[in-house]
Amino acid sequence: MSPIWLSERVQWVGAFDPAMRSFDIVLKTPNGTTYNAYAVRGSEGVAVIDTVKAECADQFFARLEAVASYDEITTIVLNHLEPDHTGALPELMRRAPQARLYISQSAQLMLKALLNRLDLDYTTVGTDDTVSLGDRTLRFLHTPYLHWPDTQCTYLDEEFILFSGDVFGCHFCDDRLFNDRVGDFRFAFEYYYAHIMRPFREHVVNALALIEPLVINIIAPTHGPILRDQPRRYLQRYRELSGQRLQSELRADEKTMVIFYISAYGSTTQMAQVIREGAEQVAGVRVSLYDMEGGDVDLFIDLVEDASAIVIGSPTINGDAVKPAWDLMSSFANINVRGKLAGAFGSFGWSGEAVRMIEDRMRGLKMRVPLDGIRIKLIPSAEELEQCRAFGLALAQHLMGVNAPRVVEMADLFAAKQQAANELNATIT
Amino acid sequence: MAKAKVTFSDVNVTVNVPVGTRIIELSEAVGSYIAYNCREGDCGVCLFEVTKGQENLSELTAVEKSVLRARFQEIMDGWRATPDIAALQAKMQRENFAGKHCRLACQTQVFGDVTVAPL
Repeated sequence: MSPIWLSERVQWVGAFDPAMRSFDIVLKTPNGTTYNAYAVRGSEGVAVIDTVKAECADQFFARLEAVASYDEITTIVLNHLEPDHTGALPELMRRAPQARLYISQSAQLMLKALLNRLDLDYTTVGTDDTVSLGDRTLRFLHTPYLHWPDTQCTYLDEEFILFSGDVFGCHFCDDRLFNDRVGDFRFAFEYYYAHIMRPFREHVVNALALIEPLVINIIAPTHGPILRDQPRRYLQRYRELSGQRLQSELRADEKTMVIFYISAYGSTTQMAQVIREGAEQVAGVRVSLYDMEGGDVDLFIDLVEDASAIVIGSPTINGDAVKPAWDLMSSFANINVRGKLAGAFGSFGWSGEAVRMIEDRMRGLKMRVPLDGIRIKLIPSAEELEQCRAFGLALAQHLMGVNAPRVVEMADLFAAKQQAANELNATIT
Repeated sequence: MAKAKVTFSDVNVTVNVPVGTRIIELSEAVGSYIAYNCREGDCGVCLFEVTKGQENLSELTAVEKSVLRARFQEIMDGWRATPDIAALQAKMQRENFAGKHCRLACQTQVFGDVTVAPL
């Protein structure tokens, strides 16, 4: 188990985990993964940047011992406290008790909760704080929420190496380790971004603003290949992935609404079409209509991410919204939907719980649901379709901030909820 | 029961409520942009602005004070470079730490007519 040299003074001391097949429950890892930890040697001490998962600690210590003795270690930097990077930390601290621990501000409480020790001594650092190793200097970048509140990056001033933490990483295990030597890992890179970084898009943009001005020779993330060949290409790719794709095609005064619906006998479809007509009466609202039956959730969430308003229509079958609606909404966790305007509608035969359930899920995701959704029993009458039109219109007015002033009684605000609860009770009894 | 009017200016909705109602009980139901997270005064996310009727709201609770103070500390930290930190500190304290018209929606109760907005 030999270390792998990034430069004369910087070694990879991480671990290979080729057998890993799923990560953090949510990710499939057909190539396994690596836990990347690094040792940096300065004239006045050695720094260890991140560690590995507890189960892989033997590999880490064997590689570390090949490049430094424990009494030379002056500095331990944690860019991210998730257990796959801190598993070997307690043992490292035991073997190198003199080493000083450097973490971000928001990592403090997590560190205590992870190690369950209150006697910990550490230094918190933020952007442009530095730690000297003599002729080598570590500089910190405050890049929170990538993908935990505690995350930060560390930059080696003299060698232009960015130890980026999970950013620019991916789950791909290949012992050739460098991006110009490993197999094709493009899929793993994109997949990792989509599932780990994408929910934090705004924070990715903030981090890029800090990182892009740096001179970068190597990006050394905590998982997957080390990016030494054209590292800027990966910054560029993050720029593209985190950009608002639709925005360039929209005028400044325009907003978009996407209506997703699914229908068993066409009633919910009719409702969707009329809601669209209603919404389109408001200037500046661009409405798209998608039948969930004809599409794939993975493609739909791209639309949701860029839209200002999301409306979902589902019939009620066996007292519930249908699976495609739940599948769509469960995928919302992969993007940021907080604050988007939302609404629901649907036709039903017996009980019609779907609409309120969808609204509850939307509120649970902190979307804004200003209007009670429309529920129609079986086939909509002409009059009921007019209600749908008015609903679409009112939602669009909310979206553009041109809705008429409204005065309501507090009791009425919750009447719909109460009604749904009553109906449910009636069904049960 | 005595009533009060709470106007959410961002969504143009006025709600007639019994006095004692908390802002957060309403903001979600009317679809206001006032954000929230923990609902128990821990996180400080539901900070909102009172544009009219400040005097018709409940006094600051202890938990609210401490959250606002934490926000204030954040601002202070961001201003570490200010030439006169004492003056800044005094000003922040005068203005109720996070800004004179800022309150937490999960803590603030309504006792008379008020107009509120997201920050």
